[in-house]
This record gives sequence, C-alpha cells and structure tokens, in this order.
Amino acid sequence: MTATMIGEPAIARPAPRRRRFGLPGTESRGAAILVMPFVLLLIVAGIIPTGYALIQSLQAAQGFGFDNFARIVGDFRFVDTFLHIFLTLLVWLPIMMVGVVGLSLLVYSSPGRFGSTMRFFYYIPGALAGVANFMLWLFILNPGQSPIDFLWNGFGFTTLNQVAQPGQLPIILAAMLFFQGAGTWLVIVNGGLNGIPDEVLEAAVVDGAGPVAMAWTIMLPIIRPWLGYMLLLNVAYGFQLFIEPLVMSQVTHGQISPQWSPNQLSYTYAYQILDTGAAAAMSVILLLISLGLGLWIVLRSGLFSDER
Amino acid sequence: MSSLSRHQVLARLLAGSVAAMLLVSACSGSTTPATKAPGASASGAPAGGQEDPKATDSGGKIMVWVDAPRQPAAEAFQKAYPDIPIEINAIAGNVGSTDLQQKFALFNQAGSGWPDAIFFPSNDDIAWATSAKINYARDLSGILKDYLSGYTAANNAPCNIDNTVRCARNDSAPDVFWYNAKLFKDWGYTPPTTWEDYQTLGIKIATEHPGYVSGFLGDAYAPDRYLWASGCPTNDRLSETKAHINTSDPLCKRVVDLIDKMVAAKALSPVGIFDPNAAQVGPKLAMSPGAVWWGNYLFRDTWKIPAGQMTATAPIHWSSENPGFTGDEGGGLWGVSSHIKGKQLDNTLTFIKFVTSDPRWQVELSTGLPAYTAPQQAWLDKGAKDGYFNDYPTTAAAMVAAGNAVRGNHYYMLYNTGGIWSKTVTPVLTSGKDLSAAWDAFGTQLVNEAKTFGYEVVATGN
Repeated sequence: MTATMIGEPAIARPAPRRRRFGLPGTESRGAAILVMPFVLLLIVAGIIPTGYALIQSLQAAQGFGFDNFARIVGDFRFVDTFLHIFLTLLVWLPIMMVGVVGLSLLVYSSPGRFGSTMRFFYYIPGALAGVANFMLWLFILNPGQSPIDFLWNGFGFTTLNQVAQPGQLPIILAAMLFFQGAGTWLVIVNGGLNGIPDEVLEAAVVDGAGPVAMAWTIMLPIIRPWLGYMLLLNVAYGFQLFIEPLVMSQVTHGQISPQWSPNQLSYTYAYQILDTGAAAAMSVILLLISLGLGLWIVLRSGLFSDER
Repeated sequence: MSSLSRHQVLARLLAGSVAAMLLVSACSGSTTPATKAPGASASGAPAGGQEDPKATDSGGKIMVWVDAPRQPAAEAFQKAYPDIPIEINAIAGNVGSTDLQQKFALFNQAGSGWPDAIFFPSNDDIAWATSAKINYARDLSGILKDYLSGYTAANNAPCNIDNTVRCARNDSAPDVFWYNAKLFKDWGYTPPTTWEDYQTLGIKIATEHPGYVSGFLGDAYAPDRYLWASGCPTNDRLSETKAHINTSDPLCKRVVDLIDKMVAAKALSPVGIFDPNAAQVGPKLAMSPGAVWWGNYLFRDTWKIPAGQMTATAPIHWSSENPGFTGDEGGGLWGVSSHIKGKQLDNTLTFIKFVTSDPRWQVELSTGLPAYTAPQQAWLDKGAKDGYFNDYPTTAAAMVAAGNAVRGNHYYMLYNTGGIWSKTVTPVLTSGKDLSAAWDAFGTQLVNEAKTFGYEVVATGN
C-alpha cells in the first residue's frame, strides 16, 4: 500500500464487487496513521539516500552530466560483474522456484503431523541466518574440514581454492542461497496454498482432476502472486550480492575477484579508488535494473493486483 | 470511479513496485556505499604528510592500532612507559582486506577518529595512507631525522616516498636462499649461487628425487620472491599518478622462462606458503629463495621441520649481474598520524621509537629480524642460542647482508600485485599449466587495475 492513496476522494456508493482504492473519511485517517511509520522509514532509509545517490552520480566536473556513468561503465570489470550475476541467477532461480514449489506441494499434500514436521525441517537452514549460515558454508566448502569431503574428493579437489574456482562460484552461490532461502519461502508459499478455499479443490476433484492436474491447473495459477513476490525479492537479492563473494574473495586470498559483483565494484570505487561519483552511478544503474525487472515481474504475475 | 482506467492501474502498480523495491533494498542490508558517504576528499590537510592545520592535542593520551602479532609490542610499551596513557585497538590482519581503508576514508569525512600510530597489516596499505586523498601518514623525515639515520637506506626504503619518510619499518624481510642442509649433504649437492644454477639444480632434484620441490608459487608473496628479484617492472612508481609497468620486459621474460621450465619438471609447487596443505608439501622443500622470516615462522613453527636441517645462505643472483639483487616479502610498517600535535605527538613518537628499536620488543618478543640496525645483533645472538638452523653464522650473515641487497625501483602501489597474481596466475598453475599460460592475463590485469586507480601507465621507466 502506498501513500498515494491517502488523498483519494471518499465515495459513499454501495460497495461494488471489486475492492475500491478510495476510502471513506474516517477510514482514510486511520489508513494514514497506519501507513505513517512506513512512510517515515521510506523517506529516511529509501527516498533520501536514493535521491542523494542520484545527485552524486550526476555530478560532473562542470555542473551535471554523465561523466560518472561513463567511468563506471567503462571500467574493465563492469560487464563481468553483471555476467557473474546473470550466471548465478541462471543457476539459482530455476532451482529455487522449482524446488520451493515442489516441496511446498509435497508438504501441502502431506497433511497432519508429517507435513508440519517436514516443513519444520526444511525451515531449519533458513533459521541459521546470514553470517552464521555463511561461516557454516566455509566449512562445508573446505576439503579436510567438510562433512561432504567425499564429494570434493570425488571431483579431485583437495584445497578450498580448487573448490572455489571462479567458474564454479555461481554454482556454489546458488547452493548457498537455495539452502539459506528455501525454508522461509516454503513457509510463505505454503501459506498461499492454505489460502485456497476447500470448495475450489473439492470442485476440481468432482470434475475429475488428478493430483498433477490439480497442482498445475488449480493451485499454481492461484498462488501465482506469491511466486511473483518470491521471484521479485530473489532477483533483487541476486543483483545486490555483496558479502558472499566478498568473503569468498578473502578466504581464497583473492582467487575470487574482489570486484566480482556490481555492488563490490561500487564498493571498490567508493573506498579504494575514492571515487564516490562513480560508485553512486553504479548504485543508480543497479536501482534502474532492479526497478525494471521488478516492474516486469509485478505486471506479469499480478502481484499487486486485486482482481481475483 | 467504481473502476479504474488502465492508465491509473499502471500508475498504482508503478508506485507500488517502486515502494516495494525501495523496501527490498532497505531491508536486504544494502551496502550501496553511495547512499552513505559523501565524496571522500582530502581532509583539508596539506599534501605530502605535513601536519594537518586542524591537528589536535589530547594532552598526552595516545591511541594505537595493531594487528594480533604486534599486540605484544604495544603491551611491552605500556609496561615500559606506564606514565603514558595508551589505548590499544586490535585490527584484523587480513592481507587484501579493504575495510581498513574504508575506515580511513570515513575518518577523513568525519574529520576525526584516526589512530595516532598504526601497524599496517599489509605493506600495500602505505600507498593509500600516503595518497593525496587520504594523506594520513605523517612525514617523519624532519621530526625524527636523527633517529631515522639508524636505519640503513635499504631497510627503510618502503617508507621513502617522494623525498619524504612516511613510516618506520618494524622488521627486515629480504629474501635469502634457504636450503635443507641435511638433504643436500645426503644427496651430495652444493647450494646454487645464481638463478641459472637454481633452475638446473631444481630440475635435477625433481628428477632424481620425485616429490621434493624447490619453491612455492601459489601465494601473494610469490611475485615479490621471483619478479621483484628479477627486476620485472610491476610496481615501479614514477610519481603519485604515473606507474611503469611492462610485463614483456626482458627482466620479466627471463624469470618467466625459468619458472616455466621448473614447473614443467615439477620442481616448483603451485601451492602457496600459507595454504593449509603447504604443511604437507613444506617438509619436502629442498631449497628456495624465501624471506628471513620463513626460518622461524614457516619451517620451525608452522611446518615443524626438525632442527638442524634448514639453513640460509646469501641470496642467489642472475649471473649477468654482480653484485646481485634480491626480492623482499613484507617487513611491516608503522605509521604516525598527521592529525596530531603537541604532547600527543611527542608520546606517539616515543611509541614509534620503542616499537622499532627497543630490545624489549624487537629482541625479546619480535619474530622478525629488526629493520633498525641497533637491535639486530642482539636479535641474531638470541637466535644463535635457539640452535634451530644448521649453520647459524652463515644464516645470520646472509640475513643482514640480504637486507641491503633488495632491488630498488619497487614500491607499494594502490593496486595489489600479490592479489592480482592470486587471481590470474595461481588458478592457472593449480590447474597444471605453466606461468606463460597466465602471463598475458596477469599483465593486462595489472595495467587495467593501475588505470582504475588513476595511474598513467607507461612501458618504460625514467
């Protein structure tokens, strides 16, 4: 919900079938109060920094211009950083979407104690949040310390640097991100499945739908907005990858480039080259990409649509 | 009003998704730096390490930043000078880590927060600490003039930048020539004196005694050991904005050829000296150029090679050069803030003198050969009692002499040559190929990174 709705004229007509955006006067005040804390946060943590980055990025030697953008796009690592992200998304997103949906359907169709137990187990890796999860991965990736040592030995890897070769990083990151995020998304998608009215499912059964047809033609279309939301947030996370490749770069003593992701390149410009303008330009480029992709996903999945 | 036009729906969707994206970027721990920091500019201090006109005086209390191995130095100072109030902050010692520089960029914006003295975890740090934009490290050439004359020129060379002295060196880390005297006696070899002999003997050892190696290539110090010693121009700083880099120079070619031949014969290991599995390869080291600190740190403490085997002799040199030159692997640097004055500055200078030359740190606690001349002999005498090396008098003489034979025209730069080596060369060597296979990528990356830091790159010196 956004602040733009507050000023809508109140309408006192009988409620039409679809929900309206306009609200009566008292409800409007209530909505304003409810949305206020978010708007404040949005201004402080979203709009001001974004506006500041935009101004910084457009500052040129004389007045305003695109010098900063030219410098960052001209960097010899610029294309590579995006290539790395695309490769990672290419590996990660299909696994994530198919994996989460598949597991959700399995959990949903295993009612009772078994289903909820499995849901809990799938959630566990996600509960080990952020840095702790990442440190765990460093052990898993390091032959000699790893519980999946046999796997690394099977590939002929005996050192961390052999496991974490640049070409293999997208696969490693995909695995990391899947186990970190899948459990949480499973709970969310499951919530979506639980929201499907029983009558709809019963009607489908009466019409002769088998489990596969039921999942494919009934459940998936209904939970499409949830899947769109998942895709949106994961794409955004992918483009902002920072700490994972940064630590991988440090533990491999630089075998993974310190400028592996767009955010890392931006960081290098801000704090090593001390060129904040170019760093800001990179942030703006990332924002535009995220916005564009986000918009596309939102429109395609009907994420914010009320038509159902 | 009951139904919205398509246009209005789109407008709402747009607004909604903008809000969602902003929320996403705010919630997912976005580290987009530009949203935090205004332009990092010089703090207003004059360039070249002169005192900041806004320098402050705490009245005596000093704050020093040290990495873990230098913590005992600061504590020894605290004990020796109980009347000087001191705050000791530990910093991470990760080579290649960038958060230290980030802190200083932010201190410059805030106009406060700098430590009064610091041990730089990586020698490369001196490049940004003296850059016009950060300009943290003070020029010591005036205020410590007499004291600095206690260094030989070569031993404090990393601190001499544009006719100023921007730091004081903790320890001397030239490459000597290490070999396993027990193996050499058993096999009937004599240690080489030239790089050409080193190549021949290395291949011979690998052939006659498979599994024994004559050097390591996988760590970030490898370019210091091999390229620096050969004079390959990777780090030739002509000015703050001009660098001489030329990896097709004959001085590079000769050492690349040597490494290729030795790699083909399996005489050199692609492992790095700090890799966990170097401990297995380490005891199979027959000989290698290596820093003074390899003796205690690598052979004795990390790889646990038994006493009486390893020993050092004078650095090897290229047969066409006499006297020869050697490389250098680290040898830490202490810096002093340009943002302090008065009693605070006096106490900081007392601290710097203590940690660079006082026997209570340099002789009793420090593992490295002191860079300052005065405590060197006492440190060497202490090592003699240890009895670890096979031939101590030769080892000790080689260490002191090598410190003055380090090749010039090599500086610490804003780009990280060791890091570029790790990224472009190490994976290729690990995959079983030779150095030539990675050499173009190494050279290109060096030039490209140098340019992004604002250096004009030229192919010839002078």
